[in-house]
Amino acid sequence: MADAKPQGFSLKQYLKKTKLWKSIFRHDFADSPRTRLQRIFGNVFLHLHPVRVAKDALRVTYTWGLGGISFYLFLLLTVTGILLMFYYRPASMLAYQDIKDITFAVTLGRLLRNMHRWAAHLMVIAVILHMVRVFLTGAYKPPREYNWVVGVILLVMTLFLSYTGYLLPWDQLALWAVTVGAQMAANSPMLGNEGPFKLPFITTSNDARFALVGGTVIGDATLIRFYVLHCMAVPFLFTLFLAVHLWRVRKDSFSKQTGEKVDVWPHLVSRELLATILVTVILFVWSILLQAPLESEANLNVTPNPSKAPWYFLGLQELLVYFDPWIAGVVLPTVIVVGLMAIPYIDTNPKGIGYWAKMEWRRYGPLPVWYPAERPFAVSIFMLGVVMWFVLIFIGTYCRGPNWEWYWPWESWSHRRITKLTLKNIPNLWGIALMGGYFLLGSPFPKQVKERLAAIGGPKAPALASTALHMGLGMLLSVALFVPLLTAPDLDYPLRSRYTTLFEALGHATNAPVVMAMYQLVQQAGRVVGYSLIALLVLAIGAGLGWLGLRFAKFKDRLCEELGLVKYTIIISLYLMMMGVLGKILLRLLFGIKYLFSLPVFNFNI
Amino acid sequence: MKRLLFLVLSALLAVLFVFSFVEDSTREWTGYQRRFMNTLERAERRGVSTGIQQVIVSDLRKVDRCTTCHLAIDRPQLALAEEPFTSHPALPGEVNKDGDPTPFIFHPIEKFGCTSCHGGQGLATEVKAAHGDVAHWEDPLLRGPLVQASCRQCHGNTEQIREHVPMLLEGRELFKAKGCYGCHAIKDFGQTVSVDLAEVGSKSYLLMEADFEMMPHPHDRIHWLKRKLGHPRTLNPGLRPEELPAGEEEVFASAMPYFGLSEHEVDALTVYLLSLKASNLPASYVTQALPEPEPVYASEIERGEAVFVKFGCTACHGIGGVGGRRNVNAGLGEEVPPLLYVKAYYEHDVESLKNVIRNGRQPTPRANPHRPRPPLYMPAWKDRIPEEDINALVAYLFSLSDQLPEAPPAPAEVPADTASN
Repeated sequence: MADAKPQGFSLKQYLKKTKLWKSIFRHDFADSPRTRLQRIFGNVFLHLHPVRVAKDALRVTYTWGLGGISFYLFLLLTVTGILLMFYYRPASMLAYQDIKDITFAVTLGRLLRNMHRWAAHLMVIAVILHMVRVFLTGAYKPPREYNWVVGVILLVMTLFLSYTGYLLPWDQLALWAVTVGAQMAANSPMLGNEGPFKLPFITTSNDARFALVGGTVIGDATLIRFYVLHCMAVPFLFTLFLAVHLWRVRKDSFSKQTGEKVDVWPHLVSRELLATILVTVILFVWSILLQAPLESEANLNVTPNPSKAPWYFLGLQELLVYFDPWIAGVVLPTVIVVGLMAIPYIDTNPKGIGYWAKMEWRRYGPLPVWYPAERPFAVSIFMLGVVMWFVLIFIGTYCRGPNWEWYWPWESWSHRRITKLTLKNIPNLWGIALMGGYFLLGSPFPKQVKERLAAIGGPKAPALASTALHMGLGMLLSVALFVPLLTAPDLDYPLRSRYTTLFEALGHATNAPVVMAMYQLVQQAGRVVGYSLIALLVLAIGAGLGWLGLRFAKFKDRLCEELGLVKYTIIISLYLMMMGVLGKILLRLLFGIKYLFSLPVFNFNI
Repeated sequence: MKRLLFLVLSALLAVLFVFSFVEDSTREWTGYQRRFMNTLERAERRGVSTGIQQVIVSDLRKVDRCTTCHLAIDRPQLALAEEPFTSHPALPGEVNKDGDPTPFIFHPIEKFGCTSCHGGQGLATEVKAAHGDVAHWEDPLLRGPLVQASCRQCHGNTEQIREHVPMLLEGRELFKAKGCYGCHAIKDFGQTVSVDLAEVGSKSYLLMEADFEMMPHPHDRIHWLKRKLGHPRTLNPGLRPEELPAGEEEVFASAMPYFGLSEHEVDALTVYLLSLKASNLPASYVTQALPEPEPVYASEIERGEAVFVKFGCTACHGIGGVGGRRNVNAGLGEEVPPLLYVKAYYEHDVESLKNVIRNGRQPTPRANPHRPRPPLYMPAWKDRIPEEDINALVAYLFSLSDQLPEAPPAPAEVPADTASN
């Protein structure tokens, strides 16, 4: 700063006193605590910040700046989006041509479009990672429960923004990705024309898909609908929720409060600036090196094989292999979103706020396990869910080719490859037993029951009853799985599905490895020995499952006592549902089971 | 540290900004324009505008930016010998008032644009993309004589332009002579044993079932058609049982016969097939011409031969009915039966022969009942060949035995299958 010695007339000093100067530059620029404060107070864009913030909260490794980066990406997408809107007309006759114009004729148009596209992908990733960070640092815990819910809403809106934008280029990629998504709406329970228990007045022209697509087929009506949603409606709502989200961050205070307080200007503002520049540089390079895809013009008569949803929905599309669309496309996403929202209300563990979940290496039998020390249950289920989500996305993106068959990422696709999987439905009663037994495994032994049992049968009675219950359920599961496998007619479900299993790709010749192994056993060892061995195996698996349940019995009882029955039921149901998804995948891959329960009349299959 | 990072990142950002502007302002076409302008005199430059040039033909919904690089295409006086600065050649007879050959008199560029005849991607401003040599653009540039394929869009009747489209006409003749109509229909004429070819020049690769998997690059319509014509079975070699999961039925190779076409014949046929396009041209673009002359036949047999060729019997039964087309798993030695012995077999039972022609013979009896059905079969002709023509055809078929070197063999040697089914 130039020192201002009073020496006669200084134009600068004169100007600084004018009202015009003061209207534009509202404060002095000398670096004093007063101006640092004024910079935050007096600036509409910066005043969402507090004036001072805990030093430790500024550590990059605490937040990785993910929330701020998500917000910046939203701004960047708004700016690039507005610029793109100048060149784009949402009509099926014009849209594709306009994208070609943007690519080939508009000055910097290609860069603009690339940036918009990659920034959208990056924003989805950033928002998800932000959520993971908030979870792992316990920042959703009181008093920030509500803001977590707002954050989940913002996540859903981010995905929906990206999805609605996907259609706009009006190429084959767009059309068929949106078709996959819209088809899920058609499978909503009750409200979808192809869903289970559809209401009597629901037809193709008034179901959930119709509402999304604006017609019975994707066309101009869909394009204008998605355009308005993408450019106006959702960004408007997004901004509202974003305002709430940021405001709540201020009101609920930051989750990290250790360390001395430092001024936000310059400490936080400079870091934010650096983060935005870094993200811009990354996006710039990304957009220069990689072109946004644009395939042939959309054509409803030509279905590419495979048709894939946008990548962030590919996990759900991959689940379509194992579940009917109403589960994979409607119920599971709903459960995921509601379950995420419920987290702060059911997780009452007060520990773990303001620092990353503590991990340590522990020995589990012979295996070293990276174990979360403080919130083992919460951290492991949440991370299992996140990892499952991304593994499914990876499989859907890189491991699925024509006819949704399994291809390793380095394999080239072939439309000539044909594989066959013969599947079986489990008879409904067995299926109910199987699912019922599975969910009952989550039931605790409440204290009162234990006391009554001890009163009646002596001190050992509760333990015995618990053992009996778990072993019984384990046996039930095992028996309900294997008996129908052995007794139901082998081609109960004659559909020749073309899905490849992982095991086929690994070189196992058969589609249902367990069934074939049992068959071979009986063939080789003779009926008596073979079936006895199978019976032994069934008992052993039952005992194993029972033992597993028993090992967690104490944990379940403690959890139930701490949380109360309602919260416990919610948490254990969510947990069992998530593991159930994994279980159903294994049932199909290993046992060749399609449905556990099937009511074809109502289009209701599990 | 932070300051340094800030400076480095900002500098990087500035460099990236400058880089993108420079990249944008030095795109491929700017180089071509500079090269062209450097060859011009100062006075000549005045008439040439720079920047992206485009021809907008609203009737055809075309925006063609080809003239961005092909700057001399309608300026013969400025043209150079090297591409892309050549001028468009004038068609024979395309002359101006002074009698000098001048392009774009018959087909004004404002009315036709570039891509409506030459194919390619008019909206693109990069060489590869504009010439359609990129993925996801299914209208490749029609180089050399291939451009003749486009004439038929307006000159549906080629009588008027015979001398301009030798390859197209040759292709069309070959299509008839090789009997393609016996399996493929084109709009309202031809059999439906295989796919209709009416829009093979424009329909999407997926609908064409263009199986690029089994052919080398480039993967475009032109090369696929050439491959299909030259080596039909390599594109679709079928699936042997050992390639399939247990219990799945084997898939035979494409039933399209190998015609042993020369490279030139393949090119001519490709031109003809590329000319078969879906069209939504405004009526004002379509021209009229004299109808093609009605053929005159000297005899019933000659007429029968014309019928035999016209309806594509040659494709399976061979030129002159000598037979020999492979039909996997068919009785009669896995071949389509030759017709040289028709007289010997049907001379006293003409009505049966006519019925075979009228109703076809389907399904073809299998040599091995456990293998799939033979892909080729005799289709029914009763709604396609008029009764008089069937009579002529029978006369022609009976005449075929004259070609046999010796007396026809005894009926016992005729494969029993021809009769029993």
